[in-house]
Amino acid sequence: MIYTLTVPGPIEDVDEVRVLEWHGAVGHDFAVDDLVVELETHKALVEVRAGQRGVLRAIVCAEGDWQAVGQPLAVFSDEPSEALPASTDDLEMLVVEYEVS
Amino acid sequence: MSSEAGVIKLFFREAIARAIREEMTADPRVIVLGQDVGAFGGSYKEFLGLFDQFGPSRVRDTPVAEAAMVGLGVGAAAAGYRPIVSITYMDFLMLGLDPLVNYAAKARFKTGGQITAPVVVKTTAGAKGQGVAHSQCLEAWLMGVAGLVVVAPSNAADAYGLMKSALRHDGPVVFVDHKRLFPTAGEVPFAETFTPIGQAVIARPGEHVTIATHGYMVRVAGEAAGRLAKTGVSCEIVDLRTLAPLDVATVAASVARTRALVTLEEGQVPCGVGAEVAFRVQEAVGGVRVARVGALPAPVSSNPVLEAACVPDAGRLVQAIRRTLDA
Repeated sequence: MIYTLTVPGPIEDVDEVRVLEWHGAVGHDFAVDDLVVELETHKALVEVRAGQRGVLRAIVCAEGDWQAVGQPLAVFSDEPSEALPASTDDLEMLVVEYEVS
Repeated sequence: MSSEAGVIKLFFREAIARAIREEMTADPRVIVLGQDVGAFGGSYKEFLGLFDQFGPSRVRDTPVAEAAMVGLGVGAAAAGYRPIVSITYMDFLMLGLDPLVNYAAKARFKTGGQITAPVVVKTTAGAKGQGVAHSQCLEAWLMGVAGLVVVAPSNAADAYGLMKSALRHDGPVVFVDHKRLFPTAGEVPFAETFTPIGQAVIARPGEHVTIATHGYMVRVAGEAAGRLAKTGVSCEIVDLRTLAPLDVATVAASVARTRALVTLEEGQVPCGVGAEVAFRVQEAVGGVRVARVGALPAPVSSNPVLEAACVPDAGRLVQAIRRTLDA
């Protein structure tokens, strides 16, 4: 199955974030609790960790890019060779845990 | 990031840090004084990176002692430094008014130009849930002080550009930002850029009414203008950017076309920014409809319902514009 990793929220006072660092390249298989990506808000850092196992298939927002809360950052799948759809619309959201610090 | 397009999107705090970093690199006399400006990087992280880059002799944490902080900054400026004094809450600038008004602003007058005090007092105004003594917008109190420049950016680009200009100005400048601007982000020119002091800008062109405003209220004006546009009323928004010296010419030129002026501020209405703008424009243009919108005459409560009732919002501005145009 294919998933989108979206900007987690709600985070108080935050409408949009900037991608600071991806902690794995396309093709990387993330285990539960692995740090996937760090995001910057206007006053804090958000650590996004995998809440389910998944393979990173496509990065929608590269380091330095901006994205709104709830919008897609990347595409994941359960298996590395599943065919990817043309758009990220209507994909299930990847389960994540996030911490604002 | 689109440096090819000539702009980079930054958080409001980063625009300020960038301006200060550039000026500290260019001029060794620029120093920063304030609470939590050093290792902590600033209450809003607006000084992040400066302590690491320039060290504790140029980025100095001070105790909570605003009169002493401003006094220290003014004295250092008179002695040849170019300090930024960070007053986290504009409410507490009141404690530093004596050195600012009686010494910094008057230095060149008192000494026939021999001594100037090029200090930037950066302070954060505005209501955001923190109660009566941590919510005030007092910039109108400073506009009539001879020798004092007062600037108020409404976006990241002008926060950057006005901070740079403020640090080059040969006299004291109060740089007023706003709590509700720090969660915002905006495009800032990639190249080194200065926003001129004393120059307002048309933030939104329009035909039927001029809204003159500054700081966070520029966004509230934009929201009101968007609502009114759906009903066929076109609002022109003038972002004052500098409150002293006021760019009356830009506002007057706008009102000469629209024939209606509504001023908007988060501060109090009596003797407020709007009072000065309205009179000066009426004096310049004559015979135009005028109204002022500002906070209700009460301290701003930490209770969110009362705070929202006190501080102007798009709805209240829309009502004031309709009343003015129907008059």
